[in-house]
Amino acid sequence: MRRLLDITGLRAGYGASRVLNGLSVHIDEGESIGLFGPNGHGKSTLLKTISGLLRPTAGSIAFDGNDITTQRPPAVVAAGLIHAPQGNTLFGNMRIAETLELAAFSKRAKAEATRRIEEVYVLFPRLAERKQQFARTLSGGERQMLSIGCALMCAPRLLMLDEPTLGLSPKLKEELAGAIAKISKTGVPLIVVEQDVEFLLSLTDRLYMIEHGEVVREISSANAPDHEEVMRLYFGAEGAH
Amino acid sequence: MDALLATLVSGLVLGSLYALMSSGLSLVWTTLGVFNFSHGALMMVGAFVAWTISEVLGLGPVVGILSGTLAAGLIGVIIERLLVRPFYNNRNMLLITAMTTLAAMVILERGAQMIWGARLKQLPRLVPGEVQILGTTISAHEALLIVLAPLILVALWRFTVMTNRGRSLRAVGQNQDSAALLGIDVPVAFALAFGISAALAGLTGALLGSIRFITPTMGSEPLTKAMIVVIFGGLGNLGATAGAAYLIGFIEAFLIFGLGLYWTPFVLFLLMILVLLFRPNGVFGGK
Ligand SMILES: Nc1ncnc2c1ncn2[C@@H]1O[C@H](COP(=O)(O)OP(=O)(O)O)[C@@H](O)[C@H]1O
Ligand SMILES: [Mg+2]
Repeated sequence: MRRLLDITGLRAGYGASRVLNGLSVHIDEGESIGLFGPNGHGKSTLLKTISGLLRPTAGSIAFDGNDITTQRPPAVVAAGLIHAPQGNTLFGNMRIAETLELAAFSKRAKAEATRRIEEVYVLFPRLAERKQQFARTLSGGERQMLSIGCALMCAPRLLMLDEPTLGLSPKLKEELAGAIAKISKTGVPLIVVEQDVEFLLSLTDRLYMIEHGEVVREISSANAPDHEEVMRLYFGAEGAH
Repeated sequence: MDALLATLVSGLVLGSLYALMSSGLSLVWTTLGVFNFSHGALMMVGAFVAWTISEVLGLGPVVGILSGTLAAGLIGVIIERLLVRPFYNNRNMLLITAMTTLAAMVILERGAQMIWGARLKQLPRLVPGEVQILGTTISAHEALLIVLAPLILVALWRFTVMTNRGRSLRAVGQNQDSAALLGIDVPVAFALAFGISAALAGLTGALLGSIRFITPTMGSEPLTKAMIVVIFGGLGNLGATAGAAYLIGFIEAFLIFGLGLYWTPFVLFLLMILVLLFRPNGVFGGK
């Protein structure tokens, strides 16, 4: 099967501190994957390295058959690999509508901007009601919606969402989870980082558990472990380090 | 009454000059978070290049002014690349770039001295003749400055608010990583902001070159005034900066009228210190 994203032996970190220790993950054409695992073990670092914010010290990243290991963010975005980062505050002194328009920055995205902005407003009516509101005045949930909305404006061919429901109330979480499921149904492949393994199992085809910057377990949603086993995996791992 | 109106008009001319200078400083500040001390020297470069193209090569003031604008913009991009960008992400960036842009100012001023010498130079007026404003006679060239300044400010404002390229400069200033993840090239945004700002300074210098004498240090006084303006207006908001520019222009004109040239800078700087003490975010700024 064709690989949409192929990451092998990736090493990266911040200055002297190494976070990713030879990590390998992949996405086949037509599938979505989830990443989970204890906090501080490199999930966000992995996404930052894929999108070019961090430069890997070893390993390779190929997207759609092209090597993008050392590409900078503008080139990665232009290729359609889009990353909505964890806790994205975007631009406090910019209005919602303006931010969404700006997000269609690349040439490819600009061509689809008019259609996509309508789709974003349909997906997130709360944003449509607040077009002229400044980003800094948004609630956590609204900010998350804007972040995902911006990612959609970038015309994603693969969308990476980093903890899109972090810190939200159960009701808002459900709302966002529903929106993400809708995005997935439109055929956009996803990489989703989440703590909620059950949500990931329902949304994606495969899960990687990441610990100490390495893949420690791969789970297929088709023969998923039961709830208890997931809990044991999780908290067993948390207790171990 | 006549004296009052004449003072108002001269305040308007000064305000236009300060608005053009300080809007560039403000643009660089909002995009890079850097204060460019070579801004006045870039203005001077614009004036000298305009003079050389117009008078020495005989291509006329219009080509001269355009060349001065372009040359200053180009040197601005070079200063950003060589003297500002290497210190990005440095903890002491603000202090270091204050030093490096001051160094750029000295280099440009000494360079101009070497190339063009100390003899006073002046550009011919872009438009000849005189016009009447509020019963006061000023040169048509000064009137042009009064009309041009708000037009340029509005164009700059529209650029930063209505176009994605302009918005990208504001975005980079507020959150570099988020901007990069939308496909915005952060170094390109830096260079663009610096280039536009420097080009504005060059244009201002070229226009001022037919009102004042062109000398290697002609930019230092407008730079200090622009600094007072951005302290009054608060850095980072184009509207507030422009408002403050005209306010300072009027205050200065009235101080010159009432107190004379000698005491005016003294009072302006006193006002600046008071603003810093009591309204540190500027007179139009929030808390
Ligand atoms: N900007 C940064 N500078 C230095 N260290 C960082 C930075 N961001 C994250 N780290 C460190 O890298 C490690 C992995 O963090 P992260 O990738 O955010 O983990 P996760 O997303 O899995 O919770 C942590 O030890 C964290 O402290
Ligand atoms: Mg994280």
